[in-house]
Amino acid sequence: MNSPFTPALALLQGGALDNLQQSLQHPDLSKFLIIGALLFSIGVAGVLTRRNIIVIFMSIELILNAANLNFIAFSRYLQEQGSVNAVAGQVFTVFIIVVAAAEAAIGLGLVIALYRNRETIFVDKIDLLKW
Amino acid sequence: MVLSGWESVFFWVFALSALVAGLLTVMARNAVHSALFLISTLVSVAALFVLLGAEFIAGVQILVYVGGVMVLFLFVIMLVNVSAEERGSEELFNRTGQVTAAVCFVALLVFGLFYAVNQSAGSFASNRSEGAGAARLRTAETGVSKISEDTQRVGASLYRYGALPFEIASLLLLVAIVGSVLLARTSKQELVADDVDPRVIPELSAAGELTPAEIEAAARAKAFEV
Repeated sequence: MNSPFTPALALLQGGALDNLQQSLQHPDLSKFLIIGALLFSIGVAGVLTRRNIIVIFMSIELILNAANLNFIAFSRYLQEQGSVNAVAGQVFTVFIIVVAAAEAAIGLGLVIALYRNRETIFVDKIDLLKW
Repeated sequence: MVLSGWESVFFWVFALSALVAGLLTVMARNAVHSALFLISTLVSVAALFVLLGAEFIAGVQILVYVGGVMVLFLFVIMLVNVSAEERGSEELFNRTGQVTAAVCFVALLVFGLFYAVNQSAGSFASNRSEGAGAARLRTAETGVSKISEDTQRVGASLYRYGALPFEIASLLLLVAIVGSVLLARTSKQELVADDVDPRVIPELSAAGELTPAEIEAAARAKAFEV
C-alpha cells in the first residue's frame, strides 16, 4: 500500500476528472512550479545535447529564468501567507538577472575570442584540453 | 494562492507559449531562430511575473533580458559563422551517447516531478474529501491596483536588506564590462595597448595575425610615449 502511486490511485477512484477540471480552472502555486521545472528540463536538455556554444548559452538563460519563475511564485505565495519579508524572492530575482547579464557579456566575449583563434563555435571541435 | 477566471486563462496561454517557445529554442536549427524563440519565452515568463504581482521584475526582465542580453546574443550570432549548421551539413546535436545521457537525466527529473506531484495529490484529495470544494478557493485581488505599493516594497527591501549584495552586484557588472572588452580585443589592439609579450610578437607575425607595418606603428607609438 505504500507505493508512490497510492495517492494517485486514490485520486482516480474519487472523482479524478472533477479534480483535474478544478485544478485546470484554478491554477495554484504547484502549476507555476511545474512550468518552472519543465522550463528547467528543457534548458538542461539544450545544454547537454546541442553543439553550438551560443545555443548552449541561451539554454543557460532558460535555466536561470526557470529559477526566477520559482522565486517569484514562492514570493507571491508567501505574500498571501502574510510573511513579513515576502518580497525577498523578488530581490533575489533582481540579483539573478544581474548575474545572468554579466555572465552573458563575459561568455560572449569568450566566444568571440575563441572564434578568432579556432574558427569554430562547435563544442566538440574545441578539444585542446582533452586527453 | 489560487488564480481564477480570466487569470487562469492568461496563465495557461502564457505558460504554454513559454514551454513551446522554450522547446523550439532548443530544437531550432538556425541560431537566430533560437534567439528569437528565446525572446518569446522570456516575454511569456515576464507575463507570468505580472500575473504573480511582480510588475517591477517583469519590467526588468523585458528591459535587461530582451533589450540587452538578447541583442548581445544576436550581435554575436551574426559575427560568428553558423552557416554550416544551418545548411544541414553539420550535425545539430551531440553524439548518441551524450544525447542518451541527457535524455536519461531529463527522464529522472520528470520522474521526480511526478513523484512530488503524486505525494501532494494525496493531501489535495484529502482536502477535497472534507467537502471544502470551490468555496474555499479565494479569488485573487485583481480589483485593487497594487503596482506602486509592491514596487515600493521591493525597492525598500532591495536597499535595506540587500544593500551590500547590491554594491557587490555593481562591482560584478564593472568587472564584466572590463573583462568582455579585454577578451574581445584583437592582437592588433593588444599590441597598441602594449599588452603583448615581445617574445610572442615574431610568432604572431609568422601566423599572419600582425603585419610588420602594425608592429612598427606600435613601436613608434611606444617610443613617442617615452
